[in-house]
Amino acid sequence: MLIFNPFKKGDRALLVLTVAILAGIGLLLLGLWYVQVVCSRRYLASQKVQSFRAVRVPALRGKILDRNGNALAENRPSFNVDLYLEELRDVFQEEFSRAVAQQSSILHRRLTRDERSELGKHTRYWVVSNVVQQLSQILQTPLSLAENDFLKHYTNSLVMPLPILDDLTPEQLARFQEQPDKPPGLNLEIQPLRVYTNGTLAAHMLGHLQRTVDFAPEEDLPFFYPLPDFEGKVGLEGAFDQELRGHAGYKYVLVNNMGYRQSENVWQPAEPGHNLILTIDLRIQKAAEQALHSNGADVKGAVVVMDPRNGDLLALASSPTYDPNQFVPRISSEEYQRLLDPDLHPLINRATYGAFAPGSIFKIVVALAGLESGIIHPDVVYHSKGYYQLGRKIFHDEAPAGDYNFRLAFLKSSNSYFIEFGLQTGWDRIMAIGQRFFLGHLARVPLLQERSGLFPNPNWLERRAVLGEPLQSGDVANLCIGQGYIAVTPLQMAVMTSAVANGGKVFWPRLVDRIESQGSPHGEVITAFSPGRLRGDLGVQPYHLKVIRDAMRADVEDSEGTGQRAAVPEMRICGKTGTAQVARPEGGFRRDAWFVSFAPYEQPRYVVVVFVEGGGYGGLTSAPIARQIYQAIQHLERQSSPSYGSLAAVRRKD
Amino acid sequence: MGHWLQSGEKTDGRIAMYEPVLNERQRRIDWALLTSLLGLMVIGVAFIYSATSVQESISRLPWYRQYYFLQILWFGLGLGAAFGFCLVDYHVWARWSLVLYWAMVAMLVAVLIPGIGALRFGARRWIDLGIFQFQPSEFSKLAFIFAQAHFLSRPAEELRQPAVFWKGIGMILLPFVLILREPDLGSALVLLPVGLVTMYVAGVPVAFLRRLMTGATILIALLLVDILFMPPGWWQIKVQDYQRRRLLVYFGREDSYNVRQAMISVGAGGLTGKGWRQGAQTVLGFLPRGVAHNDFIFSVIAEEKGFIGSVTVLALYTMVLFTGLRTASRARDRLGKLLAVGVVTLLFSHVFINIGMNIRIMPVTGIPLPLLSYGGSSVLCSLIATGILQNVYYYRNSY
Repeated sequence: MLIFNPFKKGDRALLVLTVAILAGIGLLLLGLWYVQVVCSRRYLASQKVQSFRAVRVPALRGKILDRNGNALAENRPSFNVDLYLEELRDVFQEEFSRAVAQQSSILHRRLTRDERSELGKHTRYWVVSNVVQQLSQILQTPLSLAENDFLKHYTNSLVMPLPILDDLTPEQLARFQEQPDKPPGLNLEIQPLRVYTNGTLAAHMLGHLQRTVDFAPEEDLPFFYPLPDFEGKVGLEGAFDQELRGHAGYKYVLVNNMGYRQSENVWQPAEPGHNLILTIDLRIQKAAEQALHSNGADVKGAVVVMDPRNGDLLALASSPTYDPNQFVPRISSEEYQRLLDPDLHPLINRATYGAFAPGSIFKIVVALAGLESGIIHPDVVYHSKGYYQLGRKIFHDEAPAGDYNFRLAFLKSSNSYFIEFGLQTGWDRIMAIGQRFFLGHLARVPLLQERSGLFPNPNWLERRAVLGEPLQSGDVANLCIGQGYIAVTPLQMAVMTSAVANGGKVFWPRLVDRIESQGSPHGEVITAFSPGRLRGDLGVQPYHLKVIRDAMRADVEDSEGTGQRAAVPEMRICGKTGTAQVARPEGGFRRDAWFVSFAPYEQPRYVVVVFVEGGGYGGLTSAPIARQIYQAIQHLERQSSPSYGSLAAVRRKD
Repeated sequence: MGHWLQSGEKTDGRIAMYEPVLNERQRRIDWALLTSLLGLMVIGVAFIYSATSVQESISRLPWYRQYYFLQILWFGLGLGAAFGFCLVDYHVWARWSLVLYWAMVAMLVAVLIPGIGALRFGARRWIDLGIFQFQPSEFSKLAFIFAQAHFLSRPAEELRQPAVFWKGIGMILLPFVLILREPDLGSALVLLPVGLVTMYVAGVPVAFLRRLMTGATILIALLLVDILFMPPGWWQIKVQDYQRRRLLVYFGREDSYNVRQAMISVGAGGLTGKGWRQGAQTVLGFLPRGVAHNDFIFSVIAEEKGFIGSVTVLALYTMVLFTGLRTASRARDRLGKLLAVGVVTLLFSHVFINIGMNIRIMPVTGIPLPLLSYGGSSVLCSLIATGILQNVYYYRNSY
């Protein structure tokens, strides 16, 4: 072989040279093997570090739909203009050369390295702001780019396009697209943005979003750029944020040695979030909010409409309300300050987070306890003096002096009657019934904004006793008319009224029917929340509930009833008014107006609870609101449009 | 090949003298050398294309002005030059070697004179001939090999005289110092192994060389310590700042962008590489565009073709080197043998230093990889050098 040829000559020097060369080649081979095979992974990793940038792409947020498929929250395309700096590199270079030539001819010397880099910085900014000015003329919109903002972008996130203008108006969009010769690098990007189709409607239930940048990258990435994403804070957006948000995708961008983007690729596509289908009926929700706002836009109050047959919430309204669209893409600080108003509290969901004294509507519980314990006989007549005296304390009564049987006492809401029989029944029995309605317990609606209220239970009583403040009979008398140590949410009252209406079944309120994957027309059901989940049973005699229902019907239908303003022709509505006197912090009292009701009397399908904070008398303020809601429901039922799907189906089963 | 090998086995210098008939049938062209050279040239053109076509400023040029095409022209020119060189017996060339040597020295002096030598990147290495920038240091290597081989091909007894030895050393040092002045440390350094190995093979007493090497080693060690570790302001040898930095990089005392990127390229290539024109380091420009197609062409090949590509390149060079060694062993006389040894050592030094700097076993000295790196002077020099091998091979049996 030719390789061994030199050896045969016996020429020692050539042999040594051959061995040396072989050793050298061997050394190179060994080194290359070490670098390319043994340590390859390490070098690939450092290559990745210097040229690989991951960009987090948020997923399309799931929609929130009402029970008939009408959107409450969906996404709209937002058009943004971005500037791809890498496309301006030629322009930079040209301008830079010109600037350098000009400067050095002025100074009559070559520029130093520092001067060149300073000049480069200014040239880049100058070129970019020129483009921004051109865009400003195209869009006929004043635009500007701060040098600092540009430099920050240039040093920190050169790989990303420079955002110039977000959310173009249709006119701007048209002007942009009609312009044939735009400066290079400008790009129109579409970003889906959350939109609440009905503005302020159901704002508290839906909640709102907040822009978020705090993500832990799912992989250990050295360079990571999140695109703006939104996080649900409260309401359904908050409670179902995981499901609605979906999974962000990643794309990777290869950058060159200057840090400019070279190419990009989808690495992991984003998985869109799931849709939320509610039990809410958009039309009833609308009617409820309209009715509530008939007392003024800033009325402080809440409405709950529930299906007493299964606990489905059909409307959940709170006022004053706000527009969750304000939070997208971001809310201005003065707007946000307005939402923190210490009196109106527009961000508070009064239907679930407002705990108020129930006033006379609590007489339903007292009546049930009295009837069950045999203390109250519907026909026994009690003579009221028009007030009730307990020791030295006088309890005022809106019902005049006279003889009252149960029905009359209930429909005229006689305080004397209920204090008398409530005291006879005793707090223990009333408390036992109240517990069966789960007063003082969370109703667990997924809104991240709920309060349990206050209901004196054995533990609470014990604690008071230990503190040396046991419940006095005066306190009990006060409790019997729904005042004092008691606070309930409108939602709890809806659950209570439903139980009375449906014959004793206490349901968990249901707000979300199912979670579906996004797909057209119907996605796959991910999670279904079964309707009619029973929380407990009152375990009382059906007759006693009927007595109360009859009395509630009389409250609306009788000419002397306090709730007669709720009456709607051809709909038998049963109700109970309540007027809670609440001490104002600044002195004096305010009257909170309650009205709890259900309809129709024969086969209750709707429970409507209306609460107006500081609204005056329940019968005067809240009952008319309920009437408007019932009228709307009546109108809807008469239309009996086929889209009135699931409710109609359930109705047929009855 | 079989026939050729057989005749090769039987025929060595002495026998051939008595068998002139057999001699006539022998192959005159070293096909193994030519094949491996062609292989290297193809690879060279392919990867110069790969390294430069991703640069917009280059790919916008018409094809006849692009690097890969110019390199093909250089190859053509170089092959022509090598062929022309082979037409004349190396003995004839050797007679002119002293003229060549002194012409080369004159050129190396000329290039240092501002106005003649063109200044690029702070070094005067080129003489601008208008269409071509002529780099005397490349050609001086060839002239040096000729002159030294001629000088050392004197009778073996004379080589034992210290005067001859020191004359030989002087022949090395003169161009060495001149090239160092340009400054071009890489090209200067290459002269040392070429000169010393030729002297060793020629039969200069090993004791002389050993003493010289020991002395030189101590001197270099002292210089390195001075350059690397002396705090500035103390007594310190003046070297070019970039050279000092390169030494610091080599000894791991500083990080160099180029070397780091070259190593990332080589390492990221892995076993099989990313594919031709798919090297991220080149595409994304992390491997500096200015050197990717010349001094750092190997890292482009290594990234795009992986360890397999590296081995292929090394195998081709090994083939060239061993054909050279075989030519040396079969040369008709000491002159031919020393010429072949000089060329082999020159090529090997280039390959070892260039590839070695990609994997950090050699400092960055900026010398080209023969036939793979882009560059007219380098290509011409490499091809003429292999022309010398072919010349020695061709005239190995003739008188």
